[in-house]
Amino acid sequence: MKITQGTFSFLPDLTDEQITKQIQYCIDNDWAVGIEFTNDPHPRNTYWEMWDLPMFDIRDAAGILYELNACRKVYGDNHYIRLSAFDNTHGWESIKLSFIVNRPKVEDPGFRLVRQEVDGRSIRYTTQAYSTDKPSSERYRD
Amino acid sequence: MSEIKSFNLQKAFEASGVKEVLDELDRDLIGLLPVKTRIHETASLLLVNKAREELNLSKIQPSLHMSFTGNPGTGKTTVAMRMAKLLYRLGYVRKGHLVLVTRDDLVGQYIGHTAPKTKEILKKAMGGVLFIDEAYYLYRPENERDYGQEVIEILLQVMEDHRDDLVVILAGYADKMDKFFSSNPGFRSRVAHHIDFPDYSDDELFEIAIKMLKEQNYVLGDNAVTILKEYIAKRREQPHFANARSIRNGLDRAILRQANRLFNKGDVELNAKDLSEIDYEDFALSRVLKSKPPTQP
Amino acid sequence: MGKPKNKDRYKKGGVMAYKDMGYWQPDYEPKPTDLIAMFRITPQDGVDSIEAAAAVAGESSTATWTICWTDRLTANDKYQAKAYRVDPVPNSPGEFFSYIAYDIDLFEPGSIANLTASIIGNVFGFKPLKALRLEDMYFPVAYVKTFAGPPTGIVVERERLDKFGRPLLGATVKPKLGLSGRSYGRVVYEGLKGGLDFTKDDENINSQPFMHWRERFLYVMEAVNRAQAMSGEIKGHYLNVTAATMEDMYERAEFAKSLGSTIVMIDLVIGYTAIQSMSKWCRDNDMILHLHRAGHSTYTRLRSHGVSFRVICKWMRLAGVDHIHAGTVVGKLEGDPRTTAGYYDILREDFVPMKLENGVFFDQHWASLNKVMPVASGGIHAGQMHQLITLLGEDVVLQFGGGTIGHPSGIEAGATANRVALEAMIFARNEGRDLMAEGPEILKNAAKFCTPLKTALELWKDVTFNYTSTDAPDFVPSSTPS
Repeated sequence: MKITQGTFSFLPDLTDEQITKQIQYCIDNDWAVGIEFTNDPHPRNTYWEMWDLPMFDIRDAAGILYELNACRKVYGDNHYIRLSAFDNTHGWESIKLSFIVNRPKVEDPGFRLVRQEVDGRSIRYTTQAYSTDKPSSERYRD
Repeated sequence: MSEIKSFNLQKAFEASGVKEVLDELDRDLIGLLPVKTRIHETASLLLVNKAREELNLSKIQPSLHMSFTGNPGTGKTTVAMRMAKLLYRLGYVRKGHLVLVTRDDLVGQYIGHTAPKTKEILKKAMGGVLFIDEAYYLYRPENERDYGQEVIEILLQVMEDHRDDLVVILAGYADKMDKFFSSNPGFRSRVAHHIDFPDYSDDELFEIAIKMLKEQNYVLGDNAVTILKEYIAKRREQPHFANARSIRNGLDRAILRQANRLFNKGDVELNAKDLSEIDYEDFALSRVLKSKPPTQP
Repeated sequence: MGKPKNKDRYKKGGVMAYKDMGYWQPDYEPKPTDLIAMFRITPQDGVDSIEAAAAVAGESSTATWTICWTDRLTANDKYQAKAYRVDPVPNSPGEFFSYIAYDIDLFEPGSIANLTASIIGNVFGFKPLKALRLEDMYFPVAYVKTFAGPPTGIVVERERLDKFGRPLLGATVKPKLGLSGRSYGRVVYEGLKGGLDFTKDDENINSQPFMHWRERFLYVMEAVNRAQAMSGEIKGHYLNVTAATMEDMYERAEFAKSLGSTIVMIDLVIGYTAIQSMSKWCRDNDMILHLHRAGHSTYTRLRSHGVSFRVICKWMRLAGVDHIHAGTVVGKLEGDPRTTAGYYDILREDFVPMKLENGVFFDQHWASLNKVMPVASGGIHAGQMHQLITLLGEDVVLQFGGGTIGHPSGIEAGATANRVALEAMIFARNEGRDLMAEGPEILKNAAKFCTPLKTALELWKDVTFNYTSTDAPDFVPSSTPS
């Protein structure tokens, strides 16, 4: 399945040229761009691993793409990688744009919905990623 | 049937704003004739290259990395800034900013510190020009564990793989740079443009001094012309002579002495001329001239 | 303080002009802590505009139709509202804009009910006026700070949902009435799975014979969770907890919470006190609060009488809702572009400068009160995406009800069409493309890889709602030479 987190998940996977333009948009808005990766794609997994710190004071998207490629080299085959742009303006001070730029090379097995019958007709739902059934080092591998 | 296209160099030259930058260069910088000539040549080359690209005659991004050699104070940084602007106007860099660094900005203090430090600088320079002053200090053959070697490896990689993203200018003394290149052939092959900055003549330095004073709204008093010329000649013989930079320092001290002189006049009304004129006395006390009694005007 | 008041009035007693009782003070300079209301007044024939303004000031504060000696037991000068400025309305003979200042001590802290009881309590039925409209209000920071505001706010809502950089996408379940709980959940599931972020109960879905509220809640939450697992993305449904009593509403909200819903919904018709109660409940329970503005047009739509919707927006930001329907401009419901831009600014900005051409009459500081997410809903479809994003920006919920559920290939396809159109448009905007000029082209290109979008564009290409707006601003933008 295709996980649809992030701003551009319903578009075909982005090319580097397209990614560059989106990064430049963030830089031109004075947002710091950070690279994050994970092999635990649960929708409520907020804290993906940071690939170094968010990058401040970069003038050109090539600088960010340079790091993204370094991250892809290490994690690209079996991790999701996303770019998040942070706006420190008062009143926002949070993410402004966040989109997936890399998906694991193997098909994502998706999520299991666990139902626990409780009082009356109520049901407690729990979402579990099939990928996290395995230890971290074995996820998204054939 | 292929479309026949043509390219008007003169029009492109004017429309790109390159002419403006070159005119500025010619106008604002005193002397440096060989440098100006080289830059004009480089600009023409790059412009023609663009034209060839337009007509599909060339597809390769030319190597634009440069070395600027010359003694301190010969205008390398100033020219680098213009060069960044020029490359931006010509469309060879996307932003046109200049990031100026020395060894200390790139080399780390402990294992694992150097690569992130260097990459940080490289990322900031992307889209513009990275100017590494006294680049040869990156290479310390006497210490084989020197972290500078790590910088050199990363730098060479980026200079090769990211030609579209940034231009590197290596700067420093000519002789040391020569040695650096001969022991690091990787750099020699990647640096295509060498520009040598000659020392300024005494007359050029005098002209520069007048211009520097004018920029700060000072003028040279008639009685100070001779002594300033003498100052320049003497300063050149002193150790650590740094061309225009030494002249700037000398002028700064003269301005200080002028302020002192004016203050010591006590309770008098000073006009604009008094406040802006640098006089004979303001140079006369200089250490540089002390070796021999100064000539009276 | 001000000019000497006419104290003789107490000796004479009886009836006298409001303007002579201190309710008209042309030299008055509002204090930094005063609230200011701006009314559009249409006096009866023969009634002086200044006297009419003074009467509004009097009737909305301390005065009654005759003089009462008991005023003298109070610091009456302070409590009197003061009309201080009356301007003829441009191009509308017989109408006047009047500015009235109110001392902050006239109001209970943090109570919209108390505020509105004063400002619109009596005065709208006052006989000497043909019509009266509350156009705008200014609230000093001292007063703003007595409200807790939206329980979640735009930024935290986005953080909770993990959705950034684009409008949120929603749809109202159709048909509005008659579906059973089980069928209702099907619509929700298909829509969310197709790519919507939210689905929504309509304003009049409460607990009717065809569907008990608990049935709806149970099936909807099954659908939400299932769609979440199918997409790996956080989903939600505005469960409408509107009910006859506060107790019922709390019961429904608690049930929604127990089922894991992130958001509940109320209707404007439940009243200001109930809205503030639900806001407090949401704040205590980590819940987003969606407000449907049901009923507002009865008093906001006409230009000469009632309360402007921009005032309702201000009251609701104070009262504390996270979402409010604020118009689409291009859809089927009333909404002049500039007037609507004014509402959006009021809801989303921390400082809103006076902008007469957008109908905003005062500078308003919100003192870091949370921002309200505007909701655009009613007669919009994917083919208008470039217009919607250009006009409304990215911090907005776009609700395509018919535009999703009416899709010939099904609800899921309808949702996907909208989501693709939305992402493609934001993507193009960030790349620096001119949406208004290139919008249709961008949509056409996106439709090349998304058949549902192609179908949607084809089906609704000619649907527009071009009627003259009934609530356009009175001031035209002054052209500034660039």
